[in-house]
Amino acid sequence: MRVLVAMSGGVDSSVAAALLVEQGHDVIGATMKLFCYGDSVPDRPCCSLDSITDAKLVAHKLGIPHYVLNLEDRFGHDVIDNFVAEYARGRTPIPCVRCNSFTKFRDFLYHADALDCDAIATGHYAIAREGALLRGLDRQKDQSYFLWGIDRAVVKRMLTPVGELTKEQTRAVARRWGLVTAEKKESVEICFVPDDDYVSVLEQHLPADAPALSPGAFVTTSGDVVGAHAGFARYTVGQRKGLPGGFDEPMYVVAIRPATREVVVGRGAELFGHAVSLEEVNWLVEPLGSGDPVWVQCRYRARAVPGTIAAQGPSGGRIELRLAEPVRAIAPGQSGVLYDADERLLGGGVIV
Amino acid sequence: MTKRLTYLDNAATTPVRPEVLEAMLPYLGKEAFGNPSSAHRFGRAARAGVEEAKRAIAEAIGAEPNQVVFTSGGTEADNLAIIGAALAARDRDGPFRVAVSATEHKAGLAAAHAVKHLGGEEVILPVSASGLVDSGALDAVLEEGVALVSVMWVNNEVGTVQPVAELASRCCDAPPGVLFHSDAVQAFGKLPVSLRDVNCTLLSISGHKIGAPKGVGALIVRDRKAVEAIIHGGGQQFGIRPGTENVPGIVGLGAAARLAAQEQQALAPRLRELREELERRLLAIVPDAVINGWQSERAPHISNVSIPGTDSEALLMHLDLAGIACSSGSACSTGTVEPSHVLTAMGVPRELGVAALRFSFGKDSTSDDVDAVAAALPRIVEKVRSLATVLHR
Repeated sequence: MRVLVAMSGGVDSSVAAALLVEQGHDVIGATMKLFCYGDSVPDRPCCSLDSITDAKLVAHKLGIPHYVLNLEDRFGHDVIDNFVAEYARGRTPIPCVRCNSFTKFRDFLYHADALDCDAIATGHYAIAREGALLRGLDRQKDQSYFLWGIDRAVVKRMLTPVGELTKEQTRAVARRWGLVTAEKKESVEICFVPDDDYVSVLEQHLPADAPALSPGAFVTTSGDVVGAHAGFARYTVGQRKGLPGGFDEPMYVVAIRPATREVVVGRGAELFGHAVSLEEVNWLVEPLGSGDPVWVQCRYRARAVPGTIAAQGPSGGRIELRLAEPVRAIAPGQSGVLYDADERLLGGGVIV
Repeated sequence: MTKRLTYLDNAATTPVRPEVLEAMLPYLGKEAFGNPSSAHRFGRAARAGVEEAKRAIAEAIGAEPNQVVFTSGGTEADNLAIIGAALAARDRDGPFRVAVSATEHKAGLAAAHAVKHLGGEEVILPVSASGLVDSGALDAVLEEGVALVSVMWVNNEVGTVQPVAELASRCCDAPPGVLFHSDAVQAFGKLPVSLRDVNCTLLSISGHKIGAPKGVGALIVRDRKAVEAIIHGGGQQFGIRPGTENVPGIVGLGAAARLAAQEQQALAPRLRELREELERRLLAIVPDAVINGWQSERAPHISNVSIPGTDSEALLMHLDLAGIACSSGSACSTGTVEPSHVLTAMGVPRELGVAALRFSFGKDSTSDDVDAVAAALPRIVEKVRSLATVLHR
């Protein structure tokens, strides 16, 4: 098969490419250029000149071609603009989900088609098998949570060579090949947010008087004003840091009210929810219906809990889930991801 | 299945010629590795190689041997000419000011900009749609006073030939006599380049465009008072460009220059014919393709063509997979598609600027190369056009 591999310059995608070469496929490597800070931000985990050079070196070692695909405009529109808009309305987005849904598994696929590729491959820790997506074998690294928004028709064209490996096994393959990325540090930041300072990114894109960056009040769930904050975009549900002190027990952000610019704080016990509403729902299987059981995961690396589909919106783009166990700190903007009892990814949506 | 490889990027670089490599080897090995400035026999052997190369270049280009200043390449030669001339003018209370054409190589434009950074002035001379320097703008700058005018003999992206003899004369005649520099990196070996016919004080050439290695070039300096050094050190090369000479590279440059001058007259028509055949077949495949710079005389080896509805980065990728190497005008090393400054200066609209390819022929090119491009192109254009439609909706 001819396969286009998305090479970020990290060890996981390097090894994905190496394994495909070992399996005898006709492999082409490509690094997506998603944003440009020029060379002003050195040693960026993804999409910097250093990362592109690393990917090129790995490709050269593997004997495969390597190209840089410019997807800046699309990424800016589908991922960065959405990131900003979500924070502006008091939600906590996951840009990696948008990138997977729109950039990596759609726009990248257009390039793959133009290059007559049968499949695309990434270094994701997830398992694409016979048209289904499953959790990665290494539960600590499982990235299936971020893949719920992929178009169902794409899944059968996905290859996930490191999905059945542990991180340590992946590094061992890289060492065996002598790849420069074998010991490379993992990227844990959002790729387009330098120095983890996402507020700076918001400040660059939003007007100076945007409500999300303007002062507002901390209020308790009973309505008492207990302090002032410098912009609700700096907070997320479940957050403990940065809240006013003086309480007899730890307090957490339990809600954000963008209309009034209030950040609502409450006790730990107030953080638990028994229901979740999802919008922009995407199914990777035949859509389930009201009454059907599912396992629901509301945060990356959280445990999935059993639940039921309580109701569905008219067009199917929205569902209400009832949870059999309480889940802590359900945050609007995060993803509600659905699995079956065999760890198969069924779909998901954006938490409302 | 081994794919046929088609190299049509000779304006970017050329392979080292076997004769050139052979000439260089003694200077890389035990025979003549010495430092040319040393008094002993090892030094003398190296010195002889350097002096012979100077003579070969001088003869090839119509200059005197002690007018040949070796540099690390065309970029450094351009920098030495432009910044060096500006500094020399400043130091004799002349105008601390340089004028360059808008389509100069980035080396020339950046050097002019550096003059500005040093407290001088840069003037950018606009060009017409055909790529020729605007005559009125040149007259204006000559009247206002300027230390140096720099206009490249052949444009590296589009191939436009500037009327350097005429431009040089105008500069020379403008009181009190303005220095003229020409970047002849793409011209030398493709057109008859002779300083006996052109009143050029400063001329740049580059080794790796004519079958010599990368990392060596020369600035012909016909008046040593015209430029000051920009690299400082010992006394080599009259102090204009100190540093231990790149002896093997210089020997290679000398051998390549001799061959280039000898072969130019026979090579040019052969390249022109290949170029014309390529353009003819390209236009048959893509009737709405635009040949950039068609309006004026072009060097025989360069063809810059815009393919509407595509982007050059995607075209290059597909061509590479088909074994065909050429280039585009876009800058950034990290893959951002922006039209070249040359096309923009010529008034080429952006959507054609991002869709431009440059094919450039060399002495090893044959009609099989043209056949390879013509065979691969129809499918590639179709693929990239539909990709562009889908990505830009």
